[in-house]
Amino acid sequence: MIGVQPPDYDPAGTEHATTLPVAGPETVRDYVRSLLRRHRGAFAVLIAVNATAVVASMVGPTLLGGLVQDLADGERELRLGRNISLFAVALVVQAFFVRMVRLRGAVLGERMLADLREDFLVRSVGLPPGVLERAGTGDLLARINTDVDRLSTAMREALPQMSIAVVWAGLLLGGLVVTAPPLALAIVVALPVLLGVCVWYFRRAPAGYRSEAAGYAAVAAALAETVDAGRTIEAHRLEERRIALSDQRVAEWTSWERYTLWLRSILIPAINFYHASLLAGVLLIGGWFVLEDWLTVGQLTTGALLTQLMVEPVGMILRWMDELQVARVSLARLVGVREIEEDAGDGSLAPGGRELLAERVRFGYLPDVDVLHDVSLDVAPGTRLALVGPSGAGKSTLGRLLAGIYGPRTGSVTLGGTRLSEMTAERVRERVALVNQEHHVFVGPLRDNLLLARTDASDAELWAALGAVDADDWVRGLPEGLDTEVGSGALSVTPARAQQIALARLVLADPHTLVLDEATSLLDPRAARHLERSLGRVLDGRTVIAIAHRLHTAHDADVIAVVEDGRITELGSHHELVASGGAYAALWRSWHG
Amino acid sequence: MQIRDLPHTDPGQPDVRSGFRFLVWLFRCQLGGQAKALGWGTLHMASIAALPVAVGSAISAVVDDSGRRLLVTGAFLVAIALVIAFADAMLHRSAVTNWITAAARVQQLLARQTAALGGVLTRRVAAGEVVKVSTGDVEKIGWFVESFSRFAAAVVVTVSVCAGLIWFEPQLGLLVAGGVAAVVLSVFPLLPTAIRRAEFERSKSGRATELASDTVAGLRVLRGIGGEELFLDRYRRASQEVRSASVRNARMWSLIDAVQVVMPGLLLIAVVWQGARLALDGRLGAGELVTVYGAVSFLLFPLRLFTEAAMAFTFSRPSARRAVRVLGLRREGREGGAEAARGGDAREAPRPGGDLTDPATGLRAARGRLTAVVCGAPDFAERLAERLGGHPVMPGDEASARLGGVALDEVPLAEARAAVLVQDKDPVLLSGTLAELLDVPSSGRVDAEAALRAAHCHDVLEALSRATRDGSRDPMRGMITERARSLSGGQRQRLALARSLITDPEVLVLDEPTSAVDAHTEAGIARGLRSLRAGRTTVVFTSSPLMLDQADEVVFVNDGAVAAVGSHRELLGTTPAYRAVVTRDTETVQLAEESA
Repeated sequence: MIGVQPPDYDPAGTEHATTLPVAGPETVRDYVRSLLRRHRGAFAVLIAVNATAVVASMVGPTLLGGLVQDLADGERELRLGRNISLFAVALVVQAFFVRMVRLRGAVLGERMLADLREDFLVRSVGLPPGVLERAGTGDLLARINTDVDRLSTAMREALPQMSIAVVWAGLLLGGLVVTAPPLALAIVVALPVLLGVCVWYFRRAPAGYRSEAAGYAAVAAALAETVDAGRTIEAHRLEERRIALSDQRVAEWTSWERYTLWLRSILIPAINFYHASLLAGVLLIGGWFVLEDWLTVGQLTTGALLTQLMVEPVGMILRWMDELQVARVSLARLVGVREIEEDAGDGSLAPGGRELLAERVRFGYLPDVDVLHDVSLDVAPGTRLALVGPSGAGKSTLGRLLAGIYGPRTGSVTLGGTRLSEMTAERVRERVALVNQEHHVFVGPLRDNLLLARTDASDAELWAALGAVDADDWVRGLPEGLDTEVGSGALSVTPARAQQIALARLVLADPHTLVLDEATSLLDPRAARHLERSLGRVLDGRTVIAIAHRLHTAHDADVIAVVEDGRITELGSHHELVASGGAYAALWRSWHG
Repeated sequence: MQIRDLPHTDPGQPDVRSGFRFLVWLFRCQLGGQAKALGWGTLHMASIAALPVAVGSAISAVVDDSGRRLLVTGAFLVAIALVIAFADAMLHRSAVTNWITAAARVQQLLARQTAALGGVLTRRVAAGEVVKVSTGDVEKIGWFVESFSRFAAAVVVTVSVCAGLIWFEPQLGLLVAGGVAAVVLSVFPLLPTAIRRAEFERSKSGRATELASDTVAGLRVLRGIGGEELFLDRYRRASQEVRSASVRNARMWSLIDAVQVVMPGLLLIAVVWQGARLALDGRLGAGELVTVYGAVSFLLFPLRLFTEAAMAFTFSRPSARRAVRVLGLRREGREGGAEAARGGDAREAPRPGGDLTDPATGLRAARGRLTAVVCGAPDFAERLAERLGGHPVMPGDEASARLGGVALDEVPLAEARAAVLVQDKDPVLLSGTLAELLDVPSSGRVDAEAALRAAHCHDVLEALSRATRDGSRDPMRGMITERARSLSGGQRQRLALARSLITDPEVLVLDEPTSAVDAHTEAGIARGLRSLRAGRTTVVFTSSPLMLDQADEVVFVNDGAVAAVGSHRELLGTTPAYRAVVTRDTETVQLAEESA
């Protein structure tokens, strides 16, 4: 069989678990139109500059045509001085404008790209917390890494180059028509073959390149994982398997390389043949016309040289075409984020008090499976409530509902009489904040990592917050204190310290109600206890809902709720529960010894 | 070498003495492919160089009023067209094949190197640096390997065309040859600055991408507590820095573009001027003038390859250096690493067995028993746990841990790892399906179901059954994302424990295996671990009373040596220091109770 079929395994198919919407063609078109409109001035300049450069580049062939004509006519006076000076002037103009084209193209492309990536981040940052919680950040991350990257090439190079090439080819064609109209015929004759092959190629190429790029990324991803998991791989003797996996990824990637190479193996000869047959057409048709005296030798010379110049713009158009097609898909994914509904909350709603009340709450992540069944809970202001219970019982889910991240399916969660789900995220978080096990340390100075909670905080306040979470000692020990660069690529912070940073932010934000979901689980048990106590002093008077697996946290709380299987099965103080002899009491005894 | 034969069955032993030697080594690995690309490249460019001849002879045919010669020229042109089309496609195929075989070779070498070095690698170079070699440097190395043969072909053809012109019309030919040299040299002084700016732009853009993905990764934190504007501002600044760096970069490249127009243009003008005068003297026909003009325009094409090759070489040198830095790493210590261990005949030796002892601390874990270790200092526990497996990443002065009297450091690495499995504090879950995760080298005695049950993974299975790609709801087909980020800390710990239980090694050392698990579940796991490991040697580093209560024996290590041995309850009563460490929580609780 001739030809290469696309490989069965498509790395791009499994590249992203798409959990966020992808924009439809309409929306993408609208977006592109608005982008072009925003930059139409720069586009106009680019095209004008480019046209000047192209026209200047046609002076050489025209002059040579004239020379050849004069020589053929046996002219003895060639006015060489005048011709050469004209040629030189044209050359200077051309060089200057070629430079401008490149520069204007880059300025325009960079401006569009900057707009696009900043737009995207602004939109991402405005997403409702519930959407993030459900969709995770994986899809969003893939979009910012892969799709923005793919678009960069398109914006930086493909779009400017494409418009340059189209103008260029059009002007050359125009020049050909002006110097020797019949020669334009040759172009029409040679075109259909090229068009046919192009249709065939562009129907397959974008998907092929996408899979190829995804396959290549998968090679690097497998390696990155091997590096990251070095100790685990060594301990479990997985070396051979990792090598086999990497080899498999290489095989998958190269199978796509082989496929796209096959596609180009058809396209490249077609383009070459087009150029050559164009030239042959011009020379033969033109030569015949000259022999018949319908055309002069000079015109033919100029025409043939202009035809040779066509190689460049046609090549550019074809080269950037698939880049643009790939970019369209990426753009649809970026623009898709705009289609997510904004936070539905009502900005004018504010709670009338601090009492947190859950009434007959039912909630589930899937339409048919409830995680919480008819949960009611009344948390009075200033109460320290501990949620305990086995994994998967719904403690964290209940915590998220109490923090307003999700709205209940039925029933209600209210703060001071106002439903949390009807308020905006900004309103809710001024009052209720959640800290969970997901502790992220942002790349940048440690100071920024704290300031995000309260942008106008003074250094003294930052140190006080760090002190409240027992972190002031090690921060003082950092090479540059608060200005030390942390996060990936800089000083790496242990998970335990990251948790302290998260808690310090909470102290700075100072909401009146806090939901702590395993907020100290990564600390050494002894350090955790100490931290919780010093934190407790700072948070005195705040409502604290702590989800904890260490029983001392429960012991220190005012009220303990035991959550089992989506229901609250025991509720009361430590002493009441121990006295009642239920599940909590049994656990306490085995733990306490 | 064809692409379909990839991956290489053996990527070979690279020359890692220097970056340049590495490039040479790669080049030599594919001499055949390079020769092919050189051949096709020469044919391709030579046939393109023949086009101006055809154009010139067509013009002179027309000038001479000869229709027959015009037709012959037409036929000649079609023949050249076919050769160009075929040779270009073949050149492209062989050059790309060279690129891909070189890139695949480096990727495979990296995979083998990282697997062989295991935990040692990231102690010696940053993880990001290794990954950067794979994502960025391989591409540049491949580019150099690929562009070299095209460059060589361009040299061959350029020299030939100049020689042809000299032979055809010495005065013109010498002018062209001198001009070509001037054109080539005119660009080179600009390249270093241009490349520096390109690198600067790349680093800025990498920084911006990093900031963006960092912001998105922490978005839940931002949305939960605020500070979005702070981070948006920061990103906008970085994004605008990229923009200005790119424009600055473009300024340099646009200058190079302009030079590449001016210099060949000047040459063309000189050629036309000289040619026209020769034509006036009757030494050059009109058609020949066109041929010369065409030939000089053609030379622009190979000239661009010169620039490209110079760039590829400049860019690939540092990349090759970085690759060599990673590929040249060797494992320190008494033994040559996994590579040597795999090949050795140590396999024949009987596996060590018996009590696990650590001479440095005096720790003894009896064969077939569940021993819990409590350490006064948490980071000492981490080092001790690692040493119990032998071949620590950073070999210290302490004597090796011994299994049945055999020093583990003396046993080949693979053998030691097979006898003793040390699950560290932060075990990594590799991405893939659950079935793939649990498919580890094992004794075969413990099946996945039993291990998952003992590690109390029912809720993990429930979550994974919703994460299958085929919608089968079979948890074994559920997808685990990178580092299992979609699971909670406790869920990750329990899966890692299940994986270690399946391995079922002679000796299992667990460092804080349940620190992120809730008390309800931890109590269950402690019982499950005990029954599943019955009769096998197990060492658990922990401070949880729920776990300690299940141990056959508890060893208390304080100040670098064993301070007490006994059951949890005994030690509580007899050893105040132990009590202080383990029940510091309950002790203070009691104090609080007393004061209340």
